[in-house]
Amino acid sequence: MNPGDVMYHKEHTWARVSGNKATVGITHYAQESLGDIVYIDEPETGTNVDAGTELTQIESTKATSSVISPVSGTVTEFNEELSDAPEIINEDPYGKGWIVKIDITDESQLKDLMDSTEYEKYLEEEVKLK
Amino acid sequence: MKITILGAGPGGYVCAIRAAQLGAEVTIIEDTEVGGTCLNRGCIPTKTLIASADALHKTRNAEDFGLELNGSVSPNILKIMERKRKVVDTQVKGIRGLFKSWGVKLMEGRGVIVNSKKIKVDLKDGSTAEVETDKIIIATGSSPAQIPVFPFDGTRILSSDHAINLDTIPKSLIIVGAGVIGCEFAFIYKEFGSEITMVEMMPRAVSTEDEEISALLEREIKKKKIKLITNTGVQKVDVKEDGVTATLSDGKTIEAEKVLVSIGRAVNSKNIGLENIGVNTGKRGEIIVDAKMQTNVEGVYAIGDVIGGIMLAHLASKQGLIAAENATGGDAKVKYDVIPAAIFTSPEIASVGLREHQVKEKGIKYKVGRFQFRALGKAHAMGEISGIFKIISEEGTDKILGAHIIGPHASDLIHEVAVAMDGGLTVNDIAHTIHAHPTLAEGVMEAAEDVHDMAVHCPKK
Repeated sequence: MNPGDVMYHKEHTWARVSGNKATVGITHYAQESLGDIVYIDEPETGTNVDAGTELTQIESTKATSSVISPVSGTVTEFNEELSDAPEIINEDPYGKGWIVKIDITDESQLKDLMDSTEYEKYLEEEVKLK
Repeated sequence: MKITILGAGPGGYVCAIRAAQLGAEVTIIEDTEVGGTCLNRGCIPTKTLIASADALHKTRNAEDFGLELNGSVSPNILKIMERKRKVVDTQVKGIRGLFKSWGVKLMEGRGVIVNSKKIKVDLKDGSTAEVETDKIIIATGSSPAQIPVFPFDGTRILSSDHAINLDTIPKSLIIVGAGVIGCEFAFIYKEFGSEITMVEMMPRAVSTEDEEISALLEREIKKKKIKLITNTGVQKVDVKEDGVTATLSDGKTIEAEKVLVSIGRAVNSKNIGLENIGVNTGKRGEIIVDAKMQTNVEGVYAIGDVIGGIMLAHLASKQGLIAAENATGGDAKVKYDVIPAAIFTSPEIASVGLREHQVKEKGIKYKVGRFQFRALGKAHAMGEISGIFKIISEEGTDKILGAHIIGPHASDLIHEVAVAMDGGLTVNDIAHTIHAHPTLAEGVMEAAEDVHDMAVHCPKK
């Protein structure tokens, strides 16, 4: 369910890293917890973001939540398809539902991210017990 | 006791009726139409346009409600304006009827104060009359403020007075000023099909509101695909044959068919004879009054927009009631700490009392309760889930300091909190009151509960 080719942040976002470029989205668990997503704020390209801070905000029929960036860097692209069809995030959170592309400026932070096995363990042990 | 009132807007006409109820012989002088800006060029006309825009929006989204639309829907601006005229006419007749019923004498023309006991009136029929009076109440209101380098021309450079009377829908519209008026027109004309760009000097839209409310409105502005440029002024507007080019303070230019200037309102205190009796005015020409609405001249009062400050129809009306009481021998004052206000954007905004940043500035220890519209069953049933309720209370005493609502029917929902504040009730008084289900008002109760983290329909924090 949670693919092995991405790295996971404890705030339920993921990064697919290739060189210094990352594609970022929210996890299956996040989209399931949020319910039907109705809107996502478009972060401006060129914005610098630190790992662990708010990248943008997402609205579902249940709640408005922060999307926390898994990496530090500069936003280079927003998935424009989400403007008209944010529900793509529910349908395909790790694929067509990607949110932004980021040029990573501080690669040292990548070591704080989890792989899919660690993330699933994290979900089992810490998140679902809360 | 003879009382003469200059201006029959929501300040003047309410004052006239109350003064008559209190036994005065009342004359009211109006040079345009009874009801003033509010009824003829402001509150009511814009609300009828919004009603048309809302109906259009609902019809366009009929499928969301399980309805099949066999055919298309489009706005006919001439018919929309015709409906607006009918609504306004009915209200105007209503006020004229009230005057008749209470024996208020309406003189249609322009009144100028000669001395504190005499007003000269240039009547609409060209004749002149003089009114002898014991007391004068000035309620001449305000007009759209313009920018001297690009004054209103009524065709390309519009004021709100023009924007409520258009006979075509502009393909594109630049709105200078994203305050109350600018934002209301942005949502109206966007729904009618105009491409809208708002340019605002301040860092945020509706900058006098609570910051959280502005942020949420800005998101709704984005959702509607209305463009908002903040921290930016408009330096000049060049009018061309087919449109306008606006030059912004950062040097960029934007083009549109028309530009609406909504940067605020200027007081109407000129050419009404203030100088003949030495009425004190402030820097912007606003008439200075005391808590009883009296000017520095004994027996001369002023109410509403012409005294500057908060320009709201309902505040003008309240000031009119107080002035009527005082002019007939009473001793009343206006309380300014509980004044609800509404903005009819989509969704609506309403506020009463202090904004969170004002509470911080005053150094008051406070708590905030919040509740989202999307947590209400009624909001889902209506298909309008965006918005929040926010109540700010003083820590320890639970006294309500302010409330801010953005969401469907916010303008109606705010009054529960206004009554509570006026009556000195606490957040717990609201929280403990049974609220009918399913209603949007449940959100007020839940926000009050949330002040102490006890909102039942909020996840644990």
